[in-house]
Amino acid sequence: MGDSQYSFSLTTFSPSGKLVQIEHALTAVGSGQTSLGIKASNGVVIATEKKLPSILVDETSVQKIQLLTPDIGVVYSGMGPDSRVLVRKSRKQAQQYFRLYKEQIPVTQLVRETAAVMQEFTQSGGVRPFGVSLLIAGFDDSGPQLYQAAWGSEILCYLQSTIIRESTFSVEAAKMVDPSGSYFSWKASAMGKNVSNAKTFLEKRYTDDMELDDAVHTAILTLKEGFEGQISGKNIEIGIIGTDRKFRQMMFTNYGDNIRIPDTSMAQIIGVDGHIIVLTAAEIEDYLAEVE
Amino acid sequence: MSKSTVDVPQRGGFSFDLCRRNEMLEGKGLKPQIYRKTGTTIVGLVFQDGIILGADTRATEGPIVADKNCEKIHYMAPNIYCCGAGTAADTEAVTDMVSSQLLLHRYATGRESRVGTALTLLKTHLFGYQGHVSAALVLGGVDITGPHLYTIYPHGSTDRLAFATMGSGSLAAMAMFETKYKEGLTRDEGINLVCEAVCSGIFNDLGSGSNVDVCVITKGHKEYLRNYQLPNPRTYVSSKGYSFAKGQTEVLSTKITPLKNNLVVVAEGEAMEE
Amino acid sequence: MSIFEYNGSALVAMVGKNSFAIASDRRLGVQLQTVATDFQRIFKIHDKLYIGLSGLATDVQTLFQRLVFRHKLYQLREERDMKPEAFASLVSAMLYEKRFGPYFVQPVIAGLGDDDIPFICTMDSIGAKELAEDFVVAGTANESLYGACESMYKPGMEPEELFETVSQALQSSVDRDCLSGWGGHVFVVTPAEVKESTLKGRMD
Repeated sequence: MGDSQYSFSLTTFSPSGKLVQIEHALTAVGSGQTSLGIKASNGVVIATEKKLPSILVDETSVQKIQLLTPDIGVVYSGMGPDSRVLVRKSRKQAQQYFRLYKEQIPVTQLVRETAAVMQEFTQSGGVRPFGVSLLIAGFDDSGPQLYQAAWGSEILCYLQSTIIRESTFSVEAAKMVDPSGSYFSWKASAMGKNVSNAKTFLEKRYTDDMELDDAVHTAILTLKEGFEGQISGKNIEIGIIGTDRKFRQMMFTNYGDNIRIPDTSMAQIIGVDGHIIVLTAAEIEDYLAEVE
Repeated sequence: MSKSTVDVPQRGGFSFDLCRRNEMLEGKGLKPQIYRKTGTTIVGLVFQDGIILGADTRATEGPIVADKNCEKIHYMAPNIYCCGAGTAADTEAVTDMVSSQLLLHRYATGRESRVGTALTLLKTHLFGYQGHVSAALVLGGVDITGPHLYTIYPHGSTDRLAFATMGSGSLAAMAMFETKYKEGLTRDEGINLVCEAVCSGIFNDLGSGSNVDVCVITKGHKEYLRNYQLPNPRTYVSSKGYSFAKGQTEVLSTKITPLKNNLVVVAEGEAMEE
Repeated sequence: MSIFEYNGSALVAMVGKNSFAIASDRRLGVQLQTVATDFQRIFKIHDKLYIGLSGLATDVQTLFQRLVFRHKLYQLREERDMKPEAFASLVSAMLYEKRFGPYFVQPVIAGLGDDDIPFICTMDSIGAKELAEDFVVAGTANESLYGACESMYKPGMEPEELFETVSQALQSSVDRDCLSGWGGHVFVVTPAEVKESTLKGRMD
């Protein structure tokens, strides 16, 4: 009994002050596939496991890292279908902002708007909360530092609804105890099945002056930590936003401004020059080789 | 809740609150206003590898030249561009809106935009407003199904053509196309013909003028050639210009406000010891 | 008579070296009768961003209030000032929203952007933006202002010269327009300071 009789509606607090459905939603996230992100000195990397339910699924049809704007990308842990709703709403929000100011939406603004949607679903009738946490990575020009050589203004936001009780970021853990729709800026973070291990690992490995290449290595190593089975280019995904990544190959799509003739490689680029790039299976294999 | 109490960003669409007042003012004999038009000669043609679009760069407000070097070739998608004639605000707004819809569509489908999609989005919008959104467009692009060129009229009708002209200089430009256009033009021949057509508008139509903008779209590639030709350089500028002595203007009062964030504190004393 | 000529106005903005000037006349009239000679048409949005609104005075004030509201909300939300380009797009969007029942105003926007690069722009009453690298004009005296600026403007002027040029262009233009005049109001904005002056002009 106890809390369960208060869990029929989201808008009802339990006597102990909990929103039980939200905790259930967080459990859903907690059992989702691991995703993580690291902010480097010259860019951001986000990475995730891509475990498919059956070997019969064509892995090229699954894309877990997605674009919200040409320079903001997102990855989720939890329920894929739920993430699509958020992604769709966020993209629309970003376009609305762009149409009003003719300027790309700053990451913080987009994160806030997305978080507002998530919050709305914890306080409305007839709905359930989203069973996802998102990692949103991008860069914007908040302040004059943008134009300096170092990427001082890229921001990695962890948009989550988690009450991480054993969080190893003990100071922040206190701040994180609140219901769905909260968001924080992180230097590095993880979510999904292996949060605590991954975070402990990231805490050990993270340094402020880390470069993008290091960050990619660290991301792979972190994923490898809790990975069941053999890690390969086909069962993880890595997205990068950086300065040095110029145009590269693509698969069937080109979203960015500069279009090129699609080539036949598996590679996919979903952005150009300083925008988000999703590594190809082959490139991930290269990184894997370096790690070993 | 009444809308006037909270003036928050609108969700889109037009607002008609001032229509009654404006109608009243017009009823009192005040003339309706003129909007900035793009006068305009805009053209497009299909050449052997794709599409070439061209436009002049004059914007007019009645008989006044409001902008001598405006941009009339609008971005729709990486592989699609659109020339706009008619009321400047309308062409700008309608192309921006559709370009945004195309981007969301690309994100949702993971495929390159098709010219036909852009065409349908534009014409349904224009048809819905029954010609009141006065945008006359030449839409061109290259997609998976090949090169496409369309003209779109303000009421929403469209034509699919091999060569097209629009705007007040369209007759002058079409004269050039009708005489010289042939199938399978090379890139250089195509650009030259587009320039000739636009120039014919620039020199024979008073609504068009200044420079020639060109945009070449081929499969997987595009080239936006802003001010490709400058046939009307400024000839009357004096080398020295006017100069006015300091204090020539009679000033009643002056107030100088230093800007806070730029205040530099100049350290007077010695530098601090380490 | 057009509705734009009901109150009379003259507005001009000019680009100088790392600076800009924006100037207006000071007359408020009702058709040919002068009602006030200290009317304000140029408004500060933030330290380095100004907007001048020509046209019908009632719309000038209403639109300005809405713009201030929107800019303050933006400042609170984003914890920064709006860039001139973004502000111009906002004004354009707000005007185009009223495409079929417009405000009778023609705005002139001038500001210093990142790295103190000057930005000037004007638009018609339904938000068709026109960006310029030299000068922009608006109001009932626009024809004479075009002429004056076309001949008096020089690229890369220092603040003092910019002030004289913009003032002379304004004064000589409003002298050929019955509906505007009675002195001028000039702002010269550099990265370091704002100089705001009132000019003496003809009073007929």
